[in-house]
Amino acid sequence: MSGKPPPDEVLSIDDLHISVHDGAATAVRGITLSVGAGEIVGLVGESGSGKTLACRAALGVLPAGCAVSRGTISFGGEDVTDLSRRGWERLHGTAVGAVFQDPASYLNPNLTVGGQLAEVLRVKRGMRRAEAHQTTVELFTAVGLRNPERVFHQIPAELSGGMLQRVMIAIAISCGPRLLIADEATTALDVTIQAEIIELLKDLRDQRDLAVLFVSHDLALIRELCDRVVVFYAGEAVETGPVEEIIDRPRHPYTQALLRVASVGDFQRRELQVIPGQPPQVGEDIDGCRFAARCPAAIDACRSGPVDLTRLGPGHQARCVRAGDPELAAAAEAELAAR
Amino acid sequence: MTAPITDARSASGTATEPLLSVEGIDVVLGRGWRANHVLSDVNLKIWPGEIVGLVGETGSGKTTLARTVVGLVRPRKGRVTFHGTQISGLRGAASRRERRSGHVQLVFQDPLRSLDPDLTVAQLVGEGLKIRGGVDPAEIERRAAGALAKVGLDATLLGRTPGQISGGQRQRVSIARALAVDPELLFCDEPVSALDASNRNYILRLLGDLRDNLGLPIVIISHDLSSLAGIADRVVVLYRGRIVEDGPVARVFTAPRHPYTALLMASAPSVQHDRPLSVHQLRRTAADPAPPANGGCVFAARCPFAIDACAVQPALEPVPEAGADRWSAACHRHDQWQALARERAAVAAPR
Repeated sequence: MSGKPPPDEVLSIDDLHISVHDGAATAVRGITLSVGAGEIVGLVGESGSGKTLACRAALGVLPAGCAVSRGTISFGGEDVTDLSRRGWERLHGTAVGAVFQDPASYLNPNLTVGGQLAEVLRVKRGMRRAEAHQTTVELFTAVGLRNPERVFHQIPAELSGGMLQRVMIAIAISCGPRLLIADEATTALDVTIQAEIIELLKDLRDQRDLAVLFVSHDLALIRELCDRVVVFYAGEAVETGPVEEIIDRPRHPYTQALLRVASVGDFQRRELQVIPGQPPQVGEDIDGCRFAARCPAAIDACRSGPVDLTRLGPGHQARCVRAGDPELAAAAEAELAAR
Repeated sequence: MTAPITDARSASGTATEPLLSVEGIDVVLGRGWRANHVLSDVNLKIWPGEIVGLVGETGSGKTTLARTVVGLVRPRKGRVTFHGTQISGLRGAASRRERRSGHVQLVFQDPLRSLDPDLTVAQLVGEGLKIRGGVDPAEIERRAAGALAKVGLDATLLGRTPGQISGGQRQRVSIARALAVDPELLFCDEPVSALDASNRNYILRLLGDLRDNLGLPIVIISHDLSSLAGIADRVVVLYRGRIVEDGPVARVFTAPRHPYTALLMASAPSVQHDRPLSVHQLRRTAADPAPPANGGCVFAARCPFAIDACAVQPALEPVPEAGADRWSAACHRHDQWQALARERAAVAAPR
């Protein structure tokens, strides 16, 4: 992205902190990220790392007991951090759309999928019945559903998981949002269907200049789809940068560990790697680096105080005391090259 | 466990006799207009000490095949033979005895739903032994702790319920529950689909260790091909109830003989970007000639290489170059489509 002018910023999150258990603990600690128009940004990390909470905050749908305790969220310059419920209702669909892991649970099993999308169009865009029907069929075609007229009259149980996810994407983009949030949207799908949905997201980005925030625990999937990636660990962004840079030159030991466990994709037999240890409990107070207890390269300096993000290159930052250590960097690159 | 079976296992280092043999299985679920042909003419052999990866998409019959082997589904046709004993035809008390013997264990998908949330880990793991009978409670507890140790879990978890442990630990409890009855064959249904990459690799390594240390043959049902490559000896690909390819991992993943296997490989996400064939070279497009209508090869409707001959379902036949390897594929054009695929455009036509 370095050669191009900065893209038109759609979502901007600054120093976001989210408290959980009615303020008893902090699960997300100081996340800063932005997504520009036509850009796909990936959030990656293991379960419990706070990536889903950050997404839900950006959608204004934090679960009960969770709240933004510090920081701001803004859509195209408009601060939405303390927006009322009514204010969010105005933005849902028109400013931001979302798809989640289990499409069937977001649709009414008794109504036709076309009717459910047409209803959104009639409520949100004030369309009349015939016009809503027409637009629904067009949207179904746009998300690659074959035979959209037939799909219109089918109920969720008659459609496969991949088709339902396409319907959900059609609903998410139906009111022309500038931002699409996809939280583990392909996790439950078969691998061949997953590849098709990934292509669909890329196509939509190209055709509609959509900004996409894509959440996954699989770095390989992020690599296939995203322009930039933010690596989450225990509620913090530990490394962020262009995806090629992160894959080729990871500087944070956690990113390096994630790469070791990700699929290489050459189908050769090699020892399956694991990341030893467990992540800290949510809200646990740790002096210094939160990954130090599992880090093979940890030194005393890692535990002495808070670690800030170090700038390493255009858009590339890592939260590691030894991020600039040439010896460590060389060792990591040699290991990756050997795969 | 009965004595003759133990002897057979110990003598099976270089066995020529398969441990499990599934022959010509047809399974139909539902009746009348609801009848659904889930498995058609499935032949599968599992040899002692091997790890077999069973792959295929949702609805391809992977789980039904596993359930048929353990006797939870009754096949309409064909038979399942374990150690030379036909177990598919057993009825009543004989069937119950076989099931309770625990020779073949199935680890169900999604431990959160298959483990009773009100039972403790100790009760869950010991349940199989308790049902089999003839073991006193102290012994059950000892063996439950032993089974937990085999999967790398601490005995302190014995008093917890499934809701109080992590996802990776629950999956290991499910495996321990199967191991507690000393099975001779283990089926694991999607053991890693709900786990992140690190936990996935941990569980797969654990299964590999079980095979190495206990000589336990394992069938792993999975849709994640690249992690199977790291652990399985043989891969079996199912598509809509039929086995379309079956062979050693090293050969199948180097040069797949069925276009569906190649499509699965091309679709798997990876951190490297050099694939021999892209998905677009293996996916049907509107420009391809129409596949034979009605019947025929199960994959024809999605196959860009289908010809008139594909109106007849091809049999699963040995690949000519297989040599001593047990490698077979069910494709009329198993040696022709690769060249055709390479001629196709590697990127999608603009829509």
